[in-house]
Amino acid sequence: MSELQLLVAHLVKLGLVALLTGMVVRGRLGLCWTFGLYVLAILVGNTLVTLAPQRFYTPSFWVLKQGVYDVLKMAIAIELTWRAFAAFPGAWRTARVVLLVLLVTGALFLAWLTPRSSFHTLAEWQPGVVTAAVWLLTATALLVVFYQVPIGDWQRAIMLGLAPYLLVFVTWLSLLRSYGWALRTEVSLIDALAYLGVVLFWARAAWRRDAPGFAAAPAQSPA
Amino acid sequence: MLELVLSSVGCAALCYTLGRYNRALALQRWEFVLNAPEQRALQSLRQRLELDGALARQALEAAERARRAKRTPDAITVLRVALQVLEEAGADRLTRLRAMAVYSRMVQAIRPLPAPSPAPFRGAGLKASAAAAGLVHRLLVGTQERFRLWLVLLGLGVRIVLRGGRRAADAASREPERARPWAAFAEGLSDFEALDASHLAAFEALAASLSAIDRGGRLQLWERITGDTR
Repeated sequence: MSELQLLVAHLVKLGLVALLTGMVVRGRLGLCWTFGLYVLAILVGNTLVTLAPQRFYTPSFWVLKQGVYDVLKMAIAIELTWRAFAAFPGAWRTARVVLLVLLVTGALFLAWLTPRSSFHTLAEWQPGVVTAAVWLLTATALLVVFYQVPIGDWQRAIMLGLAPYLLVFVTWLSLLRSYGWALRTEVSLIDALAYLGVVLFWARAAWRRDAPGFAAAPAQSPA
Repeated sequence: MLELVLSSVGCAALCYTLGRYNRALALQRWEFVLNAPEQRALQSLRQRLELDGALARQALEAAERARRAKRTPDAITVLRVALQVLEEAGADRLTRLRAMAVYSRMVQAIRPLPAPSPAPFRGAGLKASAAAAGLVHRLLVGTQERFRLWLVLLGLGVRIVLRGGRRAADAASREPERARPWAAFAEGLSDFEALDASHLAAFEALAASLSAIDRGGRLQLWERITGDTR
């Protein structure tokens, strides 16, 4: 790990601490528990790798932590959908079907079309996992707009931060697949900088005070 | 490469939809759905539709009187006024149809409407569209889909009538003595009134569906909407 990479990793760590503190102080932790777990998992992974690199900056640990992050990303998308649609039974039925179709399609794709997951084949299997997570979030966003379901600013910020970062990550993996491991350090640094940007975006959203309560509008169509 | 393309499309769709998402507007819409004074809104819409129809018909009759009195320039001017009334009324109907499409997705069940029929219409294009919609209506299962089919037909109908009205007014300006454009305009106006009757029936079905949510259920839902999602 280069010194620059280490510096960015430390900055990400500080950002994650600010983000977690903001979530606790502003009472946003309970708005998406799996996101809190995801941030905590990233913080633990980052701390272990930066403080004991000789033990944790290894391919096996990378695969392990990436597996945990992937599961949590899927869980975030599912929890956001559940929280958005739980109050609307009609829309929730449709959302459940859409989520199921995406999860089954993603699972079949990963099971049949990608090699067994290991660090050396990560460029083959990891993009599929990330794409599935992006589409789970996208489906939620499309359903929210289609059914005019009200979601909070915090849930919106989570989705608006996570999806673009995942796109950067897929691009990183595609470059790795196309150009091999020669570019790994440079591209990893760009990926880390992108993640730092996302963490700062989330931290800002987490610390932002809630807007004043919604004032009852006159009963005329706002369409 | 496939994953990169799929992720890019997904990410762009997400950023576009959530970037344009307006929580305050969504809450306002739910506030309207849960508190709309159905009967007053229905009465006010009925008056509005009747007024538009009466204005357009009055203008058309005045234009025909002027034409019979050989005051051709006056007749054309008043016919243009009738067209203008229809244009404004049509824009109002299209805006309301779009809003009804949004609200129809927000309610769980919609009171069923009868299958579209060509019988009330006089124009060939509108008759064909209504007959086709009647066929599609039989293939659809859900009342929400059938309701939205009605909205599509009504929107299409307004556009057909307006286009026909513009053509008829242009033809009457070019050849004021010919009876055909005047008859076509009157036919369009009659179709517009028939569309308005269906427009009102659709609005009534939607309003009845909104009022079907009981008061306790409305309050509970409103609390969940404004509470849990913050």
